[in-house]
Amino acid sequence: MLEIANIGVRFGGLRVLDDVSLQVGEGEIVGLVGPNGAGKTTLFNVISGTVPHQAGTLNFGGSRLDAMPAYGRARCGIGRAFQIPQPMHALTVAENVHVAQRFGAGRVDRRAQAEILDLVGLTDKAQRDAATALSLTELKALEVAKALAISPRILLLDEVLAGLEAHGKRMFTQLLAEVHARYRIAILIIEHDIETISALCPRVAVLNFGKLIADGAPAAVFRDPAVVASYTGVPADA
Amino acid sequence: MQEVMRRASRHRSVALAVVIAAALYVLVPFALRGNLYLMSLVVASLTIGGIAVAWALLGNLGGLISFGHAAFFGIGSYASAILVMKSGWPIFPAMLAGGICASLAAVLVLPALRLKGPYFALAVLAYAHIFRIVATEWKALTGGAGGIGSIPRFPVLLGFDFASKTGAYWIILSLVLAFALIHFYVRNSDYGLALRAMHDSEEATRAVGVNSLLLKAMMLFLSAFMTGMVGAFNAHYINFLEPDYAFSGLWTMLPIVAAIFGGYRTITGPLVGAVVVYLLDQLVFKAVMPIGHQIMLGAMLGAMILWNAGGLLPAIAGWWRRHRGPLAPHA
Ligand SMILES: Nc1ncnc2c1ncn2[C@@H]1O[C@H](COP(=O)(O)OP(=O)(O)OP(=O)(O)O)[C@@H](O)[C@H]1O
Ligand SMILES: [Mg+2]
Repeated sequence: MLEIANIGVRFGGLRVLDDVSLQVGEGEIVGLVGPNGAGKTTLFNVISGTVPHQAGTLNFGGSRLDAMPAYGRARCGIGRAFQIPQPMHALTVAENVHVAQRFGAGRVDRRAQAEILDLVGLTDKAQRDAATALSLTELKALEVAKALAISPRILLLDEVLAGLEAHGKRMFTQLLAEVHARYRIAILIIEHDIETISALCPRVAVLNFGKLIADGAPAAVFRDPAVVASYTGVPADA
Repeated sequence: MQEVMRRASRHRSVALAVVIAAALYVLVPFALRGNLYLMSLVVASLTIGGIAVAWALLGNLGGLISFGHAAFFGIGSYASAILVMKSGWPIFPAMLAGGICASLAAVLVLPALRLKGPYFALAVLAYAHIFRIVATEWKALTGGAGGIGSIPRFPVLLGFDFASKTGAYWIILSLVLAFALIHFYVRNSDYGLALRAMHDSEEATRAVGVNSLLLKAMMLFLSAFMTGMVGAFNAHYINFLEPDYAFSGLWTMLPIVAAIFGGYRTITGPLVGAVVVYLLDQLVFKAVMPIGHQIMLGAMLGAMILWNAGGLLPAIAGWWRRHRGPLAPHA
């Protein structure tokens, strides 16, 4: 469904993504891991249309994304949760979800909105200001809620679990499993915690210095010497 | 319970609006009958008020500060006058077309939409100047610097002479109230919500499917349309146009002063501001200081900003809340 082919991105002289190809099928959950600065968030930026790519092509559900602006990709069903939460500051929590649904999904369904807020545990805070009233965990929950409200066919989740304590992490993992079970949405999730990724994703891809170095089942991928080296900083052939 | 109270308070506001509208349409012309000078000042103040409402709409909803509304005003006035005089259009459709022409002219401002804050404001200022030059140089169409005289007056409709002071007052009052109503509805719509979200969270707003550039452009077109309509009204009211008058920077400056003075974040603030500022200027400052009385406007605006940066209406609302309890008592 999502086909990323030979994507290359440079920032000035810095090559941040180099010939990256990755496919995500309908309803699939794929983990994306890699050390800091590997280019994971940049890849999400490319998919959702906030960073232009200089090489390669993007297809989603049969349509070319390359020239499509960010809002158009959201309307196509690409929902995104930002690594650094980006609520719509001037709005309440409920209004955040409303705007996402109204413009992203192109319809208004109050029951679906309530269901989403309930699912991510923000019903009590629905009328509060998104900018001031939420904890980090709640801001991350709102990221997921906004992404869900556009009626996505794929969710791009950028470290929504990072920075949460063990309990929050468990809750969130469960939430994502439930989202996936209920809406049958594909999920591409960036996450550093190998245990969480292994539990949630039947498949995981690894980025290192802008190159995709592995793609497969977690058990195999995390045993791959090149992957181990990228994490420990020891070259594979040492 | 809450629902009942909300409905009761809404009924109260609707009743209040009807009373105020009736007073504006009937009491004001009645009270000022025979005083043509005062009536003409009121009409002029509403003309400023109309631009001020349009300017504040662009600022509030589009998040764009414009220093170039004189361009839209001038284009609306020329377009309407030319359509009536050269193509024989009836005046009211021509006024509408004047608004549309101002909107079309705003297309040229679109590339500046990506600019932020003062850069957008300055770009629009430059555009305004260009239009003034075009109006001066395109002599075949606009009569050049000499201008256009004897622009037809408003017609007699249903036995009522709209060319009279009271008629003109009703026209501009209707326009301005319609603008305020439009501002109100857009602000309270889903588009208003998205526009509000956009101001400080543009990336997040685009990521959920909002075409922020299009929404901003729509607000620009709407604001330009309103301003063009006011310009068209003024052309048929004054019956004379020349580039230095129609594109005068005063059509930008006075509405901005009025909007900020009255409270540009509110819907009726710019209108109230225009009436207060313009009448004070013409009736008081001009008498005290025949030359350079506009300085007093600057001083007044400064004082208002120091006293209450939100403007007159928010200041009054705040005072009311402190002294009389909330505006809609929870009785
Ligand atoms: N807008 C930008 N301009 C210049 N360089 C950038 C920009 N965005 C990212 N980079 C650089 O690109 C590289 C990849 O960054 P990216 O944020 O994609 O990494 P990441 O894998 O998400 O890392 P982390 O795990 O820390 O979130 C980094 O070296 C970063 O400094
Ligand atoms: Mg990142």
